[in-house]
Amino acid sequence: MPLSPIFFKKTKFEVEKVSNASTESDSVTRSDHSIFVRGIRKTYPNGVVANQDVTFSILRGEVHALLGENGAGKTTLVKILSGCLTPDSGEILVNGRSVRIEDPIKAVKLGIGMVHQHFTLIPTFTVAENIALSLSLSGRLNLDAVKGKIKEVSKNLTLEIDPDARIEQLPVGLRQRVEILRLLCQDVDILILDEPTSVLTPLEVEELFKTIRRLKSKGRSVIIITHKVKEALAISDRITIMRGGRVVKTLPTISTNEAELAALVVEGFASSLRVDRGKPGEPVLMVKNLSVKGKRGEMAVKGVDLVLHAGEILGIAGVAGNGQKELVEALTGLRRIESGTSLLKTCDLTNRPPKFIIRKGVSYIPEDRIRRGVVLSMSVSENLALKNFEEQPFSKNMVINRESIDRYASDLISKFGIRASDPCATVSSLSGGNIGKLVVARELSNGANIVVAEQPTAGLDVKASEAVHQKLMELRSKGVAALLISADLDEIIKLSDRIVVMYGGKFVGEFTHDSLDIQKLARLMLGSA
Amino acid sequence: MELKLTKSTVRSIYKAVISIALALVVTSVLFIATGANPILAYYYIFVGAFGNLNLTVETLVRTTPILLVSLGLAIAFKCKVWNIGAEGQLYMGAMAGTITAVSLGNSPLTLPASILVAILGGMAWAAVPALMKTKLGINEVITTFLMNYVAIYFVQWLLSFPFRSPDTLFPESAQVPQAAVLPILLPTTRLHLGVVLAIAVALPLVYFLMIKTTFGYKLRAVGENPEAARFGGINVSRTIFLALVLSGALAGIAGLFEVSGIQFRMRGSLSPGYGYTGIVVALLGQNNPIGVFLSSIFLAAIFNGSSTMSRVLNQPQGVVDFIQGVLVIFVLGSEYIMRYLEKKGVFKA
Ligand SMILES: Nc1ncnc2c1ncn2[C@@H]1O[C@H](COP(=O)(O)OP(=O)(O)OP(=O)(O)O)[C@@H](O)[C@H]1O
Ligand SMILES: [Mg+2]
Repeated sequence: MPLSPIFFKKTKFEVEKVSNASTESDSVTRSDHSIFVRGIRKTYPNGVVANQDVTFSILRGEVHALLGENGAGKTTLVKILSGCLTPDSGEILVNGRSVRIEDPIKAVKLGIGMVHQHFTLIPTFTVAENIALSLSLSGRLNLDAVKGKIKEVSKNLTLEIDPDARIEQLPVGLRQRVEILRLLCQDVDILILDEPTSVLTPLEVEELFKTIRRLKSKGRSVIIITHKVKEALAISDRITIMRGGRVVKTLPTISTNEAELAALVVEGFASSLRVDRGKPGEPVLMVKNLSVKGKRGEMAVKGVDLVLHAGEILGIAGVAGNGQKELVEALTGLRRIESGTSLLKTCDLTNRPPKFIIRKGVSYIPEDRIRRGVVLSMSVSENLALKNFEEQPFSKNMVINRESIDRYASDLISKFGIRASDPCATVSSLSGGNIGKLVVARELSNGANIVVAEQPTAGLDVKASEAVHQKLMELRSKGVAALLISADLDEIIKLSDRIVVMYGGKFVGEFTHDSLDIQKLARLMLGSA
Repeated sequence: MELKLTKSTVRSIYKAVISIALALVVTSVLFIATGANPILAYYYIFVGAFGNLNLTVETLVRTTPILLVSLGLAIAFKCKVWNIGAEGQLYMGAMAGTITAVSLGNSPLTLPASILVAILGGMAWAAVPALMKTKLGINEVITTFLMNYVAIYFVQWLLSFPFRSPDTLFPESAQVPQAAVLPILLPTTRLHLGVVLAIAVALPLVYFLMIKTTFGYKLRAVGENPEAARFGGINVSRTIFLALVLSGALAGIAGLFEVSGIQFRMRGSLSPGYGYTGIVVALLGQNNPIGVFLSSIFLAAIFNGSSTMSRVLNQPQGVVDFIQGVLVIFVLGSEYIMRYLEKKGVFKA
């Protein structure tokens, strides 16, 4: 909206103070750094200081991992570097020059690009169309030129992609590749990846790491945020650990190890989880010959049979897109069942509305927390009560009892270690991992008989992940049954009493924890026996 | 009522004030172009609206239908249901209520019965687009808007033929019986019971409904993220249906109060566009009942003050519509204006 500049001039003041102080005293000379930041401070409108006195650098051709517990300020820092946020104070040097990064366009001009944790591609557009959106900011759309550019860049880095593929048809791993390609087509030298691996299968992670190594060999720098210490060790040259908005330490990857890093990330952390096996009891969920259609009308689940017992964790292993999502949505009442039945003990759940199924004690942790798990603009306590606000004591005769909701929320906030400034803060002010914790907290605390958990620990730090695993096992010992769908095979193997493999809409194999053959499991996941 | 001034409330107030200020600035340009002194123009608008007791009462009388309509629209808009059809719902409610009143005659039941039927009339008219939206997925903006014309022409037909007044020459209904008339509360003015019912009953009720009940919670959840609401077990279609139908009910009451409090007959010209003014008011009040209340007084004042102003300064009456139009533009743009100002550091984000 164009505004008369005279109109507001008097009250205008500068928030950001960019000093031109020299950095001569630093041990590494400026020109070795792609980016050098010093004394960064960022306060959010609600008063949360998310970054303070942050000094951080990334060298040319370096892969730099950023570790830290949920809410440590990692996303805030990289958003500052990519122009999504402006710092209160501090200095940013890019290739030795002091700069102000007002917006993402400026960041790209400086050669800095970021892939957000939540993808920003338009699903119904093709790869080329999506990339064209960010390239040709003016003038005529020349798709052929864009395709040419894509071909050139992808050939250079052996990042194969079909420029005419529609985004919605691509698996997550390839979508991510498109996000990366889009930045590379804009000649970005420094790529920032915010938790790129949290929803990828191990194979996809390997592909991503290959890409990162290739980028590195071409002299590009990569900043990667992850919660998996192993990944940081595998891919990075240096590692920076953040805690409470500050940088705790930056160290070369070769001189550290898993235990040391884990303890640095979560102060004094040492794993205390004892994994035990469940003692499965009566069958609670009986699914017979279930068929479900997918989004494009194709049969996504083809006559699946499944029995889930009380006190059992059943893992569903499989590459994303083999019907797991549709199966889960059918069981929770969110998608129509074409044929077959779903029975909870003696109660028929087939094609009943979500509310009915929730009332019967089926909890659901959806993978897409932001779109399906929370209402961002509502408060933390309102979101924690999303599934039981209509029950006493949270409301009576339709009148909401705010105190009891807040009390319930405060209890969950402390039990699950959700980092929120207060229960009335909006969910949009939480860090990614804390939104995850919120959803998990809600779903594991409402007295469910069955928990359907999709990637329950994606985006959670080690401590929070362990707490979730602990809680799942605790519930199991109380006779709760769980269906675990995860891209993280380690997690499935660790927790499940039984594992079924889903491929092409069918269960193609089953293992008990003791008879597990990982090689065979992996082959089944890919559709070969 | 709790009135906590949270940061977001303060921000909403800023947004509304900025929108109004900018709309008045732009309207000043119009005044200058037509040869009037804008300061004087606004002065006469103010005097015309609040210059003495009678004028102030008249402004409150004008506030009543605007408030009722916009409270209903606030409910719908909170749920992101864009009801553009309050005008039609108002007419259908008023027509249904008038027919009831005329046919019941002088009975103690006449007034409550006509209010009830007006509510049902408004609801029924809103239920059609509500069903089309929830069952067939047809966009409510188009259906509610087009149904305004259907309603208004249908009412005109009813008034021209089956329900035409036997004692006048105009296409209007018979006079409603005395028992249907809303009593006057302040002699020699037009301050009728409906004004009090709107401000002291409807306003707190809607406030309570939106802020304190599970229904209000559902409205917000469905409006902000229907997918998460569905995953949480909220019946999204039913919430949308109820939101639209409730806004129809309030429009229906607004229509009936105009008949029973002001005109005493149903006419084809019952409303000077209150159904549309309500949209401006709900947007300006940002769907907050208190904001909506203040905004409806503001627009009522512009309505009433403008006629004084145009008489004194010999200006066209159309300035009311002009201000409303400009206001809509600035209210819709106010989020961007706010962000711009925050970025420039005029307001602290
Ligand atoms: N928009 C916002 N408004 C207010 N506070 C915010 C906002 N975004 C983040 N915060 C707060 O700032 C802190 C740091 O958040 P940030 O998103 O940077 O964490 P993170 O290290 O990326 O965590 P995670 O691993 O959970 O993604 C948190 O305490 C969070 O609550
Ligand atoms: Mg983050």
